[in-house]
Amino acid sequence: MQAYPPIVRPPAEAIGTLALIVGAIALLIFIGVEGALIYAVWRYRASRSSTEQPARFERNTRVEIAWTALPALVLALVFVLMLGAMAEIGGAGVEPGLRVRVVGHQWWWEFGYGAVTTANELHIPVETAVELDLTSTDVIHSFWVPELGGKSDMLPGTTNHLRLFARRAGVYEGQCSEFCGIEHAWMRIRVVAESQADFDRWLAAQGQSAAARGGDGERIFLANICVNCHTIRGTTAAGAAGPDLTHAGARATLGAGVLPNDVARMRAWIADPQQYKPGALMPRVPLSDPELDALAAYLVSLK
Amino acid sequence: MTALPLWVRRPSGERVGWLRTVDHKEIGVLYIGMGVAFFAIGGLEALLLRAQLATPESRLVDPSTYDQAFTVHGVTMILLAVVPLLVGFANYLVPLMIGAPDVAYPRLNALSFWLSLVGGIVLYFSFLAGGAPDTGWFSYAPLAERSFAPGLGVDYYIVGLAVNGAGTIIGAINLTVTILLMRCPGMAISRVPLFVWMTLVTSILILGAYPALTAALVMLFVDRQLGGHFFDPAGGGQVVLWQHLFWFFGHPEVYIMVLPAMGMISEIIPVFSGKPIFGYRFVAGSSVAIAFLSFGVWAHHMFAVGLGDTENAIFAATSMLIAVPTGVKIFNWIATMVGGRIRLTTAMLFAVGFIAMFVIGGLSGVSLAVVPIDLAVTDSYYVVAHLHYVLFGGTMLGIFAGAYYWFPKMTGRLLDEGLGKLHFWATFAGFNLTFLPQHWLGAVGMPRRVFTYAASTGWGPLNLVSTIGAAILAVAMVIFAVNLVRSLRSGEVAGDDPWDGFTLEWATSSPPPAENFPTIPAVTGRRPLWDRKHPDQRDRA
Repeated sequence: MQAYPPIVRPPAEAIGTLALIVGAIALLIFIGVEGALIYAVWRYRASRSSTEQPARFERNTRVEIAWTALPALVLALVFVLMLGAMAEIGGAGVEPGLRVRVVGHQWWWEFGYGAVTTANELHIPVETAVELDLTSTDVIHSFWVPELGGKSDMLPGTTNHLRLFARRAGVYEGQCSEFCGIEHAWMRIRVVAESQADFDRWLAAQGQSAAARGGDGERIFLANICVNCHTIRGTTAAGAAGPDLTHAGARATLGAGVLPNDVARMRAWIADPQQYKPGALMPRVPLSDPELDALAAYLVSLK
Repeated sequence: MTALPLWVRRPSGERVGWLRTVDHKEIGVLYIGMGVAFFAIGGLEALLLRAQLATPESRLVDPSTYDQAFTVHGVTMILLAVVPLLVGFANYLVPLMIGAPDVAYPRLNALSFWLSLVGGIVLYFSFLAGGAPDTGWFSYAPLAERSFAPGLGVDYYIVGLAVNGAGTIIGAINLTVTILLMRCPGMAISRVPLFVWMTLVTSILILGAYPALTAALVMLFVDRQLGGHFFDPAGGGQVVLWQHLFWFFGHPEVYIMVLPAMGMISEIIPVFSGKPIFGYRFVAGSSVAIAFLSFGVWAHHMFAVGLGDTENAIFAATSMLIAVPTGVKIFNWIATMVGGRIRLTTAMLFAVGFIAMFVIGGLSGVSLAVVPIDLAVTDSYYVVAHLHYVLFGGTMLGIFAGAYYWFPKMTGRLLDEGLGKLHFWATFAGFNLTFLPQHWLGAVGMPRRVFTYAASTGWGPLNLVSTIGAAILAVAMVIFAVNLVRSLRSGEVAGDDPWDGFTLEWATSSPPPAENFPTIPAVTGRRPLWDRKHPDQRDRA
């Protein structure tokens, strides 16, 4: 566990506080300027001052200098506050307690914890500074879970870094926020923040290979094009283009958030992914009804 | 066609028609017509987007159609609606305001317009040629590379924008030369109307910014069609290079769209306040400051790209600085009203609405310059809200103000004030209902450019409010269209100077003759017509 020292705020809180301060300043300026505007229109409207000749003043250098300098001073203050918050969201020298490799794909997420690879569901321990190393295999994506931190773009050929921190256990949702093609909308992120003990248990389970079952489902999976794109550790399936399915049944959703994960939905998804996620790179695999039943049951059983 | 008062006859009495005209007023009207048509098309595209987003997980439109619609909506509104509308007003008004018979290069002026229009037609032809571009208006590489966008849509985007941009660049050269060299006797550069001043600054911005876009488009074309690797990391290229080039154009483009509208309300507010503009030199000088700074802020569109804290902090500083000259303008407009005698015509209502809404867009803009806040809300609906407060709440309200103000000069007839006020209040209500909730949607996590969103997000109700707002906004536009058509046919006859104006365009007939003025006028101050009407109270020279 690597908590932040009390003097450094975690990223989402640093952003939140700064947004509140800047928001309050903006609100004051808003009230002042809109108030002055409405007052001027109301006070000097022709129907109210029908006999008055309009004034003819048209310059006042002192006033001009004042309303140039005052906003500049306010902005200088905002700039200084900003520098502090930037250092905090960058980690302020605190070593991360966990590092996760994140790879963006059209349209799903790959998460790597050392040798363990999973997809679409990021598990992190609470009260721990987590650093993500972000990259992409195709186009630009952007990682954003608003309650846990800022966002960072994920560029092919480059690795970016983003700090996350969760105070409380729970599920936090986010999604890709750089337009990345037709299914950009269904590239959701589910972050499960849990106690260190729960996280360790989860990671140990994810590290297990799937025991060979020898059942129909496994046989169908290995005999079809599924293996070209998907990996199930412990079997011969070692494709890398799609999500690792070694623990497919342990995840809460299918298709990066488009469907809840259960046998019925898994079956429907395999039968026709394009119906739920048009444009997704997973093709329809021609399978008979009994084959679909067996395959769906097998995949969901991979906890 | 004799009922159309827009025709201008040659001194010989010959009418050459719209296709062959080189008259700056007719070309101005052509530009405005192009802008109005594309504004209507872009508006319909926006309605499609809002209809799809009204409810979560809607299947009204498929994602491919949605992506084409938001891409073409952005390109249309920015390059085919707003810029032509502003260039159209500039074309019509600048020679009149500086007491010139036409622009410096009338034939080149016609070329600019036709190139701009053809660029738009090329872009829209993509719908017939297998699909419109679907990679967003800023069309980031590598998504726009052929491996991820194999259709021809992006190629139509490249050619359409390059041709349209060539027209805009040529037009900017023409207006720059016209303003610098063709002012009437006595009209020092420190006396030109502020709309002319801001058109000059805008034209110089175009000359600096558009070539960067053209270069980027050519590079993307080389990548897509000739096997280049400018933006392809696998071939040694850089994906971020596209963003640098695009935003080096894209941010000045914001001011290209805002400054002329600021110029419009800088003409309208003084006239309807019965006072000269307060702080002419500061309003004019702050435009130069904005233009200068606008070339040094582009990377604030790229804070999440990972350029590094130092680079981000520098661009944050320049972006915040640009708020200072912008604030100066707002304070000067309000000071112009103070002590005046304000006639709340529809034109003035829209001008006041511009200030009121632009303040919101400006403040949210400052929040986006603050790097940590930007990292939270960039690429979300917060940005969609912000940019529409600037470009609709600001620029479009300014253009409507200009339309009510100068329509009588262009046609000889007034727009109806009753319908005009209805148009204003429906626009005001519909606009805020559409875009105010989007700030909140973005802050809680709704990214932009999503064709739908999960019901579990809870974003449904505010999206529905936003869609209802868009429907009201559409009604407001219909009211405006009715007003335009009715007033063109049977509006109240305006006379030469219906508003008791200050500047030279009101010194000639409505609509003006082909040569604009029977004799070239001479001026001694910033408000030549005021001086003529009030010889005992002339402005100080």
